[in-house]
Amino acid sequence: MSQDQPRRWIAVVGNPNAGKSTLFNALTGLRQRVGNYPGVTVEKRTGTAYTLHGEAIELVDLPGMYSLSPRSPDEEIARKVLRGESDGIPQPDAILCVVDASNLERNLFLVTQVMELGIPVLVALNMVDVAEARGVRIRPGELSQRMGVKFLPTVATRGKGLVELRAALGQKLSDPGERRWVMPPQLATAVGQIAAAWRDALPAELGAEGRALELLAGGKDGPEGARKLAAAWRERFREQAYDWPAAVVQARYAYLKEMLGQAGVGHGQAHLTWTDRIDALVLNPVAGWGVLAGILTLLFTSIFSIAAYPMEWIDIAFSAAGGWLQGAMPAGLFRDLLVDGVLAGVGGVVIFLPQILILFFFLGLLEDSGYLARAAFLLDRVMHRVGLSGKSFIPLLSSYACAIPGIMATRTVEDPKDRLTTILVAPLMSCSARIPVYTTLIAAAVPAAVMPSWAKAGAMLGLYALGTGTAFVLAWLFRKKMMGGGSPPLILELPPYRRPSLRTVALRMWERAVIFLRRAGTVILALSILLWFLCNFPHTAEDPTERLAQSFAGQIGHALEPVLRPLGFDWRIGIGLVASLAAREVFVSTMSIVYHAGGEEEGLVQAMRSASWPDGSLIYTPLTCLALLVFYVYALQCLSTVAVVRRETGSWKWPAFMMLYMAGLAYAGAWLVQAVGGMLGG
Amino acid sequence: MKAMDLTQVGAGREVRVSRLDCAPGTCQRLREMGFCENAMVRKIRGGADLVCWVCGTRVALSARLARQILVETVDGNS
Repeated sequence: MSQDQPRRWIAVVGNPNAGKSTLFNALTGLRQRVGNYPGVTVEKRTGTAYTLHGEAIELVDLPGMYSLSPRSPDEEIARKVLRGESDGIPQPDAILCVVDASNLERNLFLVTQVMELGIPVLVALNMVDVAEARGVRIRPGELSQRMGVKFLPTVATRGKGLVELRAALGQKLSDPGERRWVMPPQLATAVGQIAAAWRDALPAELGAEGRALELLAGGKDGPEGARKLAAAWRERFREQAYDWPAAVVQARYAYLKEMLGQAGVGHGQAHLTWTDRIDALVLNPVAGWGVLAGILTLLFTSIFSIAAYPMEWIDIAFSAAGGWLQGAMPAGLFRDLLVDGVLAGVGGVVIFLPQILILFFFLGLLEDSGYLARAAFLLDRVMHRVGLSGKSFIPLLSSYACAIPGIMATRTVEDPKDRLTTILVAPLMSCSARIPVYTTLIAAAVPAAVMPSWAKAGAMLGLYALGTGTAFVLAWLFRKKMMGGGSPPLILELPPYRRPSLRTVALRMWERAVIFLRRAGTVILALSILLWFLCNFPHTAEDPTERLAQSFAGQIGHALEPVLRPLGFDWRIGIGLVASLAAREVFVSTMSIVYHAGGEEEGLVQAMRSASWPDGSLIYTPLTCLALLVFYVYALQCLSTVAVVRRETGSWKWPAFMMLYMAGLAYAGAWLVQAVGGMLGG
Repeated sequence: MKAMDLTQVGAGREVRVSRLDCAPGTCQRLREMGFCENAMVRKIRGGADLVCWVCGTRVALSARLARQILVETVDGNS
């Protein structure tokens, strides 16, 4: 293929859990996120693959879907790409359907729909190893012959069948040809007429029958004549109480059942497997909750106990770098900038990398093993009480890592009100950026000597519980009381358990580390330098404390102090709150700069513990630390979240509402802590 | 043959779907996931929410939805 010839686009489609993302990664070398629960891919991703002849082709990996009739935003994304209605992606030249070979009947249902798009189709029979282990006989040749499209066996996780797949992608794929399933006569007449009207208006249009079915279902795109005809047939079917969508699904399944039977392919026996044995425990209404609580306790204890060692090494490294700079450079503003600005700011945040990686390690294991779908199932009843379904649980759990992927994962939530509610409360789930703030403030509240790591983990768990509990209460308020209406009932596929791929989990941790360090090296570095300037200029006094008080940052803090005083916060905390409006973790680097802590966690905690009000009383009393912790549990200090909510809701109304309600909650929560603490003599 | 809803079926039993009695969108999603009229379904777990084996996969359903799936026993399976 010549250089100036446009590349061919191939869409990768399939049911959730069919292994699309794994196959896409194997073909393109991209590290597409792969999980073992429905809805890992919530947006289209593109990558370049090469055929055996070296032709570069563009692959677009689409969200998993059960049918082409979209019922959730992620399915709508997939449908738009396949129809050539997506911005920046031309209509695909071919479609690579990835099907789970151990579950052919359900997976091929989608293939029968895809074949009606009028685009050449190639089917990857993925996970043939699992299918064979379950006693399913796989006959790609038979299937190709009976369905009229090429079937190729693959095991994407082990790279099996990829050579054949690349070879097939390099050849001209044939059109799927005529529909094989038998349409009920009543419907066939309607579809025939609508399709004919379509072809009359747009003779070159392919897949007119599929288009006719879309129009009959209420689709708006198409020639006027065909649309009018579809509306008339829809009305007639309604009068006759003829449930034609049900008839179509039944006809497709009837064809598949017969075809698979003739091809000698079964779908295995529903015998008890070790997945069912594990499920007997983890889905048990009593033991299941114990397992979930155990997993969460292990997660939070590990964040403190295991992470303590690498955190200490990072601490030592930054101290040594600071010490070396102090000795190697002459005293002056530039040295202060490097030590108190750059090292304090960046070091103060980088030190928390191990904790964040441990969080992602555990989430990766849970996701990859298939447990997350079970947790969603277990939590469905709880979620139902607040007006949501179990499907909202996975976006909320993802928000523990970061609200941005969590909010994007709401695309799998079918009901628009459920989805909006989940988006609105997702930032209340404590994200990994809060870990540095929580850790620092817990340490400032209680000396390390009197607080073992399990107690720290308990305090941390309490903060997570506060955020989660509030999210549930507000979800109930927003969904049940303000929006009204019922939530759709839960239908959720439970994938078989898989041994988590350590490579996948390690790749995810690596990606997170790169994102975190890139952020530390760009946004946090820039903000640290800016803050150092704001904290040191105008350079009117030699005494660092005096200089800070008179600096630009000090002036901002002093201006805010009257508002913050009822919460027990002084002007220096005010600087931290303003500086961390864009990103929460900046609070820690700001405090490191404000207190000249030089990037060492221990130094910062000591400085905070000895900081005092002008009357000599301590600022960081346990009560004030708690008030500040509550403030950070609730406040929306993250510009990236605001941007993603704007994108996902399509208006500024909801991000503005979110910012206001969370700021109000943060202020009220912190004030309440001080008020109740004061009454109790704290 | 005895008609009942899916919550009334004992765990481990295999039944045939006879009718879906839910909102049109939900019915359609159920059918697409394999719960078509005449499809065979094996109930794996009972309880407030339940798990079924249909078309080669485990599907979890809320009890509220399972009550809207009417099924009938097949011969030799009471």
